[in-house]
Amino acid sequence: MRWVTSFLSVLFLSQCQFQVEKNSQELVSRISLEPDVLNPILSTAASEMEIESFLFDSLLKTDNTTLEFQPNLAEAWEISSDQKQFTFHLRKDVLWHDGRPFTAEDVLFTFEKIQDPKVDSAMTRSYFKDVLKVEKEDDFTVRFLYRYPYFKAIHMLGGFQPLPKHLFQDEKVDFNQHSFSRAPIGTGPYRFKEWKTGRSILLERNESYWGEKPDIQQLSFKIIPEPAVALQLLKKGELDVLELNGLQWARQTDTPAFRKSYQKHRIDSPAGGYGYIGWNLRKPIFQDRKVRQAMAYLIDQQAIIDKLLFGLGRVTTGPVSSATDGYDHTLPLKPFDPEQAKRLLKESGWEDHDGDGWLDKKGEKFQFNLLFPSGSNFYEKFAPIFYENLKQVGIDVHLQRMEWVAFIREAEQRKYDAMIGGWSGGWPPEFYQIWHSSQSDQGSNHVGYKNSEVDRLLVEARREFDQSKRDAIHRKIHRIIYEDQPYLFLFETPSLVARHRRFQNVIEYKMGLDVKEWRVNASLPD
Amino acid sequence: MLRYLTRRLLLLIPTFIGITLITFVVIRLAPGDPAAMKLQAAQGTISSDRAALEVIAQTRKLYGLDQPISVQYISWVKRVLTFDFGDSYKDHRPVLEKIAEALPITLLLNVITLFIIYVIAIPWGVFSALSPNSVLDRLSALILFILYSLPSFWIAILLIVYLGGGDHWNLFPIAGLMSDGAEKLPWHGQLLNVLWHLVLPVLCLTYGGFSFLARFSRATLLEVIQQDFVRTAYAKGLSRFRVMVHHAFRNALIPQLTLLGTLLPSLLGGSVIIEQIFSIPGMGRLGFEAVLSRDYPVVMAIATISALLTLVSLLLSDLLYLCVDPRIRFERKGK
Repeated sequence: MRWVTSFLSVLFLSQCQFQVEKNSQELVSRISLEPDVLNPILSTAASEMEIESFLFDSLLKTDNTTLEFQPNLAEAWEISSDQKQFTFHLRKDVLWHDGRPFTAEDVLFTFEKIQDPKVDSAMTRSYFKDVLKVEKEDDFTVRFLYRYPYFKAIHMLGGFQPLPKHLFQDEKVDFNQHSFSRAPIGTGPYRFKEWKTGRSILLERNESYWGEKPDIQQLSFKIIPEPAVALQLLKKGELDVLELNGLQWARQTDTPAFRKSYQKHRIDSPAGGYGYIGWNLRKPIFQDRKVRQAMAYLIDQQAIIDKLLFGLGRVTTGPVSSATDGYDHTLPLKPFDPEQAKRLLKESGWEDHDGDGWLDKKGEKFQFNLLFPSGSNFYEKFAPIFYENLKQVGIDVHLQRMEWVAFIREAEQRKYDAMIGGWSGGWPPEFYQIWHSSQSDQGSNHVGYKNSEVDRLLVEARREFDQSKRDAIHRKIHRIIYEDQPYLFLFETPSLVARHRRFQNVIEYKMGLDVKEWRVNASLPD
Repeated sequence: MLRYLTRRLLLLIPTFIGITLITFVVIRLAPGDPAAMKLQAAQGTISSDRAALEVIAQTRKLYGLDQPISVQYISWVKRVLTFDFGDSYKDHRPVLEKIAEALPITLLLNVITLFIIYVIAIPWGVFSALSPNSVLDRLSALILFILYSLPSFWIAILLIVYLGGGDHWNLFPIAGLMSDGAEKLPWHGQLLNVLWHLVLPVLCLTYGGFSFLARFSRATLLEVIQQDFVRTAYAKGLSRFRVMVHHAFRNALIPQLTLLGTLLPSLLGGSVIIEQIFSIPGMGRLGFEAVLSRDYPVVMAIATISALLTLVSLLLSDLLYLCVDPRIRFERKGK
């Protein structure tokens, strides 16, 4: 016992250093889940893609302000008049992080691996499914052949991130198990430095980058599963950037002390998603459009946004993001009006004939299951409100909460009556996957929406290369879907970010913030 | 004795097969398909990108999920016999490598926790057993019951916000077991850094455990104290200390051994809640994330290892009964 105490006292009396000073040249951000791999063709999670965007360059990049394409790995590109051939002229001065030159061979190799069924690239493979072939003209020119003309093809190909072929020469090593996935080598403005399993991933600036070098020397991504803990770490100064939730934005970061060190950014991106209640159109009760329209009168969207989302959200009447020109702003939001809902329901034959308090039609009671995923604070509060509102007019809703994976399966098997869901957006917007009737049996059109006019417009939009004309088509689609109400559209939520004031030159673009152009001013107080 | 041991060891085999077979079937019955999940990228929203069935089929084949479940089970058993638990679906690293990374972290946490639990709980229990139903004993019972019923996730968040957060006292680190960059410190600096990180998670893990164990050891000791041989020992004129330590306490150890049987597997199990809240990459989080993403090889490996440990530690605690109490025999008398 004596030696233990003397040992401890030596430790403390020597006043030894056990805390670590924070490096002010480093930007520390949070990821909630540890990446599985850092290989652009294998990865599936958003956090993986975020880190990869610093390590790997894509063929083209989009301008933050105009959203137009700009040269990147490809210094020039041509699109054939039939919109099927895409030729990229690659830069000749690009080096991989290990010093080897980047050539057309790397592009070809990457594409070949994406197509290889032995490679676990399910997501990337389905993404590039419609590329017929890739060929090289010379060492710095590659040509992609697309199966059919498609306006989004250039966006997909422009986002293509090549892998270094020379590192995968050993035939005996399985591609999926290759050490590359945990120590990636790219051409990007940052190079991989260290991966501490379960703790953090560290990148450092690529000093021999071919393009404009960023100002921040190191990027650190800390794995912090709990959002509440992440906020405390931000307040302690251990994180520099953090995506906030509505509660944190409105109630927990509104102090002078917080504002002194941090600035908050709200981004309503045109690539953002929306929440909805989907009516399974295969079920007899939801086949009548009047019933679906009636439902829209039974929820007070603005009140929900104000109370549950702290005012951080926008009501929406359709699938198109309201931050784009494809959204028809003339369509009115259906107000909260139970009487109107009752009228519509009566017109379609739903009335309380037997006086038991519930609506019925031909002896059938109006009841259905409302499916939603567990673990979301918002859904847990929202579902009971909707339940109450429907009960007032005589509709019996059974709330059915399910774990995320099980929930997805119910949606895939089209088993539910109605479900609360959300779609993440994308840029440029496209609605084919969710609304075309061909996607109703297997694809993302899980409610089974079928409208021949919408089908025609969706196909037309795919082949329309002019954005303003596409926006006009989207407005038509928006109007038809607004009338049909296959979903009860709820709201769009912005992304909310807090950032340390040490970082400057921070511009709020439509799509978000661009860390690569931030500058560090270490002289600012914490 | 030898016969008993061989019988027990042989019985392990069917038990083990039963456990793994049921686990194997049950996790596959859980809804969700790891191959299809690869296509649903974004969390919280279903990705609107195309989910090509063909690609899912190819991925199922890659994972070996296209074969009938019986074939899958047999090939799994074959590999496990050579101690090969396969590769994780998530990152294609060997499962054992992933466990080898998480295990030392959980072990460190649990060994310290258990040590503290026993060091506090046993003396506390003995102390309150010495004067049962006194004011002090009742007070201690009240405190222990309160501690036992406090949910650890709540206490963890309170500790984080008030003792480690940015708004109140900022005394302790709240994420992970070591600061980033602590590797550069001298060894004693590193040690202190880890100990400093351990304060809050260990606090959360211990209080529930020692409140239970203190009540338990109080109850067992009380039972022993009221028996005749203790009265005899007092009558012999032995000191209170000798009676307690040599006679009563040793007899009170037997029920504690039963608890020991669950100790070994729980050492490896790790607490999902505490590891999740304190961002500790241990076994609890590994298992939790594997279940959520239907990473079958990892789930199976963790289930198998803990099943094996449970079986072994049950056997061990049975054998320890023999050491503690010579009256216990497992073989039939008479021959």
